[in-house]
Amino acid sequence: MSSDAADVQRVLNGDVDAFARLVDRYYERCARFAVRMLGNRDDAEDALQATFLRAYRSLGKYQERDKFSAWLYRILVNQCRSIAARRNQRDRVFVREEAVLLNAPDRRPTWTGEDEEFVQRVLAELDPLLREAFLLKYVEEMSYEEMSAQTGVGVSALKMRVKRACDRLRARWERIKDE
Amino acid sequence: MSDELQSLDPYVQWIASEARRPVAVDPAARRRLLEAIHAEPLPRRESRALRWVLRPRAIVLPPLATAALAAGLVAFGVLGGMAINRDGRRPTDQRHAEDASSRLPVSLMPRAVKFELVAPKAARVSLVGDFNGWDTAATPMTSQGADGTWTVFVPLQPGLHTYSFVIDGTHFLADPSAPVAPDDGYGHQSSVVVVRGSAS
Amino acid sequence: MSALRRTIGPLTLLLASAASAAAQDSVLPARELDPLARLNVATRYSVEVMLDSAKMLGLPTRVLESTALEGIAKRADGRRIVTQVRLVFRSLRDARAALGLSASTDELTAAAGALRVGITNAELSYLARTRHEKQLTVPLVVLADLVTRGVPRDTASQTIFQLWQRGAADDDFLGLWRGVERDIVSGTAPGVALLNRAREIPTRGSPPAAPPAAPGARPERSENPNL
Repeated sequence: MSSDAADVQRVLNGDVDAFARLVDRYYERCARFAVRMLGNRDDAEDALQATFLRAYRSLGKYQERDKFSAWLYRILVNQCRSIAARRNQRDRVFVREEAVLLNAPDRRPTWTGEDEEFVQRVLAELDPLLREAFLLKYVEEMSYEEMSAQTGVGVSALKMRVKRACDRLRARWERIKDE
Repeated sequence: MSDELQSLDPYVQWIASEARRPVAVDPAARRRLLEAIHAEPLPRRESRALRWVLRPRAIVLPPLATAALAAGLVAFGVLGGMAINRDGRRPTDQRHAEDASSRLPVSLMPRAVKFELVAPKAARVSLVGDFNGWDTAATPMTSQGADGTWTVFVPLQPGLHTYSFVIDGTHFLADPSAPVAPDDGYGHQSSVVVVRGSAS
Repeated sequence: MSALRRTIGPLTLLLASAASAAAQDSVLPARELDPLARLNVATRYSVEVMLDSAKMLGLPTRVLESTALEGIAKRADGRRIVTQVRLVFRSLRDARAALGLSASTDELTAAAGALRVGITNAELSYLARTRHEKQLTVPLVVLADLVTRGVPRDTASQTIFQLWQRGAADDDFLGLWRGVERDIVSGTAPGVALLNRAREIPTRGSPPAAPPAAPGARPERSENPNL
């Protein structure tokens, strides 16, 4: 039994701290996906909160033969989609807001590095479905089969999305060069 | 997996590797999560029988759920694709607007500015700066005779310019008669000139 | 690789105005159409990233390009160039935060330089609040120069701020700078030189409480850039 599955069993037997261990193991990785996917910290934190709470509540449904990370990611992917859909036309595109610049220094920990901002912005310009596929494939480094289970989309459709994401990124670079 | 990555365009590889970097995590958020967990009732095991019934063979959804999911995905795509900013403009629009504001209006007529350096031992002197892309060959200066005074006139837009003299093609020298630019980090100080706008 | 038109833009303007001003023959050689091409790929990516971020933030990209080109001219290695461009980028960003959206490119550039020699954001904000339509460029250039030359930072900033508050104009600051520079060269301690020379600057217009009046008409000057 994997340590993840063992911890799940402990939680179901009443040991809540075992869930804290699961959170510790996956929080940062999930945070990375959420941030890259949603483009800002607030939404990402909402997604993380919702994901782990839902995972906790439905822990009884988890089966040992599934990879825990894949199971968790299915929840995460769906939570990110819900939050993005609810977001509508609010200003959540990841650009440093002028208001933040003009006021006192940021109270929250800030993103580090201009490279990260740039990459985040480039990702935000991708269609969300393409972005999701790109992130799962090349950032989370999942197999197409795992991705299919997490997104509910067929493997060939996912391959197409990944390819289109790469094409768009490539085209973006061409535009930067030529401006 | 990494073989596939390597077959990617190098720029896309770079984007992926940057995206793979960890993000800063707010410890307060994590604490809030754990507090919320503790406030929840303990999750219950599914009964064995129920689990057997629910075990998926394939991802099969009832027709209505599929339609809803599809509708949700489409809406998701459209909203995301528009990427509207706070004030309703698209990212590209915003970029152009900000570009315009960074190029604030200056007096249109450039002024001919004289640069002078006394360097009797120099074989050649040129001027470099932000007005000629720091190209050491772009603006040679002329020696005015035996006293070793080198001169050039350059048309400059009114405003702030950073510059330096270059002796014999390699030695950078700040203008002794001008304010120094803040340390440029390249080991050679440069000079600053503020050119006045045309008199009204 | 296609030409970087954003680099060409201001240079084309310069060429056009050179023709109309009929002043000199500083024409750019054709090979300089894409100067950033001389950077290696990794360096170029990083620099382009920052140029792009700067553009999105409404910061002057020409300043950053110039920083990179300066590094190329001075034969700095790629990592050094990236570090320096990053330094300038961050100081421009902080300068924007301190001075606000109404600051001109020159003011931003000068303010960023002042930040890089240790002037604080709070001090910059103070200057910005007391501007009353005057440009901060020259006082900040002089301030950064004085600190670089060895005037203690607090002495320099306090002195410049006082002069600013008392309505000193660009000519006053430049005259001040020239006097201090002369004194330092002849051996006076930089801080002392500044305090001495600062006393020579007259108060202009109304007392400090009210906004400073506009400075009087400037006398005719030669083409000397260091007016």
